Amino acid sequence: MELIREHPVLEFRHGRLVKFTFEGREMEGFEGEPIAMALHANGIRVYRETPEMKRPRGFFCAIGKCSSCFMVVDGVPNVRTCITPLKEGMRIEVQRGKGKIKLNHEGDPK
Amino acid sequence: MAEEWKRSADVVIIGAGIQGCSIAYNLAKLGVKDVVVLEKDTPTAGSTGRCAAGIRAQWGTKMNCQLGLASLEILEHLHEELGMDIGLHQGGYLMVAYKESEFEQLKKNVALQNSLGITSRVVNKEEAYEICPTLSAEDAVGFTYHHRDGHADPFLTTIAYHKAASEKGVRFYKFTECTGIKVKGEVKGVVTTRGEIDTPVVVDAAGPYSQHIAAMAGIKLPFYSERHEILVTEPVEFGVCPCMLMSFSGNYYIQQRPIGSIIAGCSPEGHPEDYSLGNTWNFLEHMSRVIVKLLPKLGGVRVVRQWSGMYNMSPDKQPVIGESKEVKGFYISAGFSGHGFMFGPISGKLLAELIVTGTSSIPIDVLNYDRFERGELIEEPAVV
Repeated sequence: MELIREHPVLEFRHGRLVKFTFEGREMEGFEGEPIAMALHANGIRVYRETPEMKRPRGFFCAIGKCSSCFMVVDGVPNVRTCITPLKEGMRIEVQRGKGKIKLNHEGDPK
Repeated sequence: MAEEWKRSADVVIIGAGIQGCSIAYNLAKLGVKDVVVLEKDTPTAGSTGRCAAGIRAQWGTKMNCQLGLASLEILEHLHEELGMDIGLHQGGYLMVAYKESEFEQLKKNVALQNSLGITSRVVNKEEAYEICPTLSAEDAVGFTYHHRDGHADPFLTTIAYHKAASEKGVRFYKFTECTGIKVKGEVKGVVTTRGEIDTPVVVDAAGPYSQHIAAMAGIKLPFYSERHEILVTEPVEFGVCPCMLMSFSGNYYIQQRPIGSIIAGCSPEGHPEDYSLGNTWNFLEHMSRVIVKLLPKLGGVRVVRQWSGMYNMSPDKQPVIGESKEVKGFYISAGFSGHGFMFGPISGKLLAELIVTGTSSIPIDVLNYDRFERGELIEEPAVV
């Protein structure tokens, strides 16, 4: 995992080191830092595959605007990983296509 | 832009939204050779491209029922006529009443609609839940439904008219604003940010700015433009809201786009008339609550975008379509009060007929603006 620990101007501290999985592989990252950042530090560059042309997409705007880093996190698609904080035990997967949104009370009788 | 500037035209239309594009196409279809459309931005950049895409025939006045049904009939075959898909989806409109008086009005509307050939009907709660399986409306007192209502894509529909009109020789000048109308007893021409055009006929199809364009010809239209907000969610499986849900007392309309996104809007508080197009968190919060109450399965679905657009409001919420009685050659197609997109296919056709032949296939004399002075308003009760 490659991340700076010191900055010449800014003072900052990383959070706790936690484990998460990417496509079933166990990885480590700092708690509270963006998921996309943790993945980048682990050498992961492809976060999503476009619905029609099946093209790879990764880190782009980094401010939650562009949809490029949508991933499936703990089963929820369309998560903007560039602005979503990493938590211990998160299950992160590449989003292929549009992703199916789970609706409330799915399967419940009316 | 090395585009040829036409110094004269048979007809100059101001505004390239659904009205302007539909009028232009219909004029060209009727054989008018020299039609120019002025657009201060790009086609669909105004209210058309900001609208909620709904199309319906469930209205409360005879005039609007006739226009709504005739427009639906055109829309149902428009892709064949214009050679382009317009994103038509006829999932019906389910009107929801929460008050007895409102339900009584809806029932009256249905009787009127049925008398005019619109096959709308009153439905009970069980049927309403069959039409919209995820609906929760236990507090509703009644529903009406018309299966031919629905939505079409405002961009595709307008661009289809634009393309078909261009192919018939209509000239569209983008980024060209009308700054004056030359009148000497009758219309003589227009002044724009790019030059002048001599013409005997000007059509005011400027949507929220129609009253300003009319003022340039010395005509006072009693319209105002009101900002309405709207939002869209991320796509969810199609069928969560297969019909348009609409309520006047509930103050909402909600529908699902073909790709699965939910679009929802309501009438604004305070009726903002400042011609700005901002968004507010109040709307986001209010609208989200309304959506989740009606369609509880959507709780947790994310809103991806919100925007706003202007309704060009007339005193009776019915449009003005026709020629001015004060200035010969000045035609108006405006004041649609939030329903310009759905009426565009028929209003464009009728106005083109009026310009070319002096009469229209559906009589629209009552839609002249002199009705406001005479106090003969045709108040439309069915508006969100």
